[in-house]
Amino acid sequence: MSHKLWGFIIVMMCLGEPAKAHPHVFVDARTGFIFGTDGLLEALHISWTYDEFTTLILFESLNLDPDGDGQLNDADRAAIIDGETKWSHTYKGDVYLEFAGQDYPLGRPEAAAVRLNGNQVEVSFDLPLLQPVRIDNAPVFLRLYDPFYYYAYSIVPPIAHANLPEDCQVQILSFEPSAAESTLQEKLAALGREDIPALENIGRLFSDEVQLTCG
Amino acid sequence: MWLRIGAIVLWVLVIGIAAWEIMPWFEIRRWAAIEQRMFQNMMAGALRGIQANDPGAIWTLCSATAAYGFFHALGPGHGKVLIGGAALASDATLKRLSILTVLSSLAQAATAIFLVGALYFLLQIGSADLANITETWLAPASYAAIAAIGAVLIFRGVRSWYSMSQAKQITDACFGHTHGPSVNDVATLTSTHDAVALIVSIALRPCTGALFVLVIAARFDAFAVGCLAVITMGLGTAAFNLIIATSSVVARQLAGLSARDYQGLQVISATLHLTGGILIVTISIGMLLPYLA
Repeated sequence: MSHKLWGFIIVMMCLGEPAKAHPHVFVDARTGFIFGTDGLLEALHISWTYDEFTTLILFESLNLDPDGDGQLNDADRAAIIDGETKWSHTYKGDVYLEFAGQDYPLGRPEAAAVRLNGNQVEVSFDLPLLQPVRIDNAPVFLRLYDPFYYYAYSIVPPIAHANLPEDCQVQILSFEPSAAESTLQEKLAALGREDIPALENIGRLFSDEVQLTCG
Repeated sequence: MWLRIGAIVLWVLVIGIAAWEIMPWFEIRRWAAIEQRMFQNMMAGALRGIQANDPGAIWTLCSATAAYGFFHALGPGHGKVLIGGAALASDATLKRLSILTVLSSLAQAATAIFLVGALYFLLQIGSADLANITETWLAPASYAAIAAIGAVLIFRGVRSWYSMSQAKQITDACFGHTHGPSVNDVATLTSTHDAVALIVSIALRPCTGALFVLVIAARFDAFAVGCLAVITMGLGTAAFNLIIATSSVVARQLAGLSARDYQGLQVISATLHLTGGILIVTISIGMLLPYLA
């Protein structure tokens, strides 16, 4: 009993992981899938629109817009791109592509751009797949989340739909508390077999996801 | 004796976890995040208003930061686990606990003001590094301090149980003369050093949001306005933590109702120390774990 109880407490602590931090940065994310002429999925298009407060922090920390006209000049844009897309080796951009049940390896950001939408900075870039891949009717999932929940991503519909192959469909599945809860129950049930669920995948329970199917 | 303690503590934990399970945390968390985002944007608008010398902006900013503090405290972490657990264990009055709660939130605001004042102005450390320092060093330090306080509560609970069992043996030997320890032996938070420990462990870690408000205000040459806004943010956090402290005091008093005599009160006090302590240690170590990995 006590063994199970401790297991239970540990799991509660682990599952509570993404809930433990407070979100400080709110990101409206837009996603796109880029296919090559051969019909293979080659890259992801990601755009992050930061909340107004984070935009102010970005202006402060990068010392942008020194003339105070509220507009970004070329140097400002270069500084933002530098800070936002030159990732450390351990950082994967909080972007996770699930292909055939596995995390699919992604490259580094390319073709980065910055815009100011009103009072919000938007950073966008393409993220190539290390190996282009053919998508069939088995769904591919794209998730954006920060395991520490310092960044809270919500996936919003893209402004313009990218040119998808005709037989492909994209669907945004917003985070459903009940779904996350039932997965949590399954993990708890697995405790009888003395399994402690892997920590690193917990964050995805709480994230929006984009589902891509073709064929 | 130990079996009995174990059974009681286990039982209270099971009830606590069941209560935790019933709460719609996902919905609460999502709602809190949506509200926080709204007030965060309001803060940004007010800060831009201050930059533009809008006279009403200071009031918008202060009300936005107060609401932000409240909703931010709704998320897990910060001092509320400590306040709740300590309030459960302590014999302190609600009034004293309320003062401690407000003081700890204000001290947290003071840490933010001091950090930005010292590091940003004197040492010219940027806001990103400031946030890094907070997350990398101050957050785990605060969790460790909070876990230590939880350990002290557990120690006091166990000591009290032990001395009660000793006293019982003495009583048996002396044909009914009681030599039990006084309730004061397990009183928590009624001394000054307990109060200081509680305040310091919470204040060690300022809210990152408060640091950012100060830094942005400083950039707009309105550091004093930023300080005021951070103080109202602290009061917002205190308002939420007061709800927690009050609930804990009510829970403690409900538990006290079941005591028939002085010794019963002592048993309950010791058990509440253990429960509060275990709660604090478990959650704060849970928060500390990612830093140790």
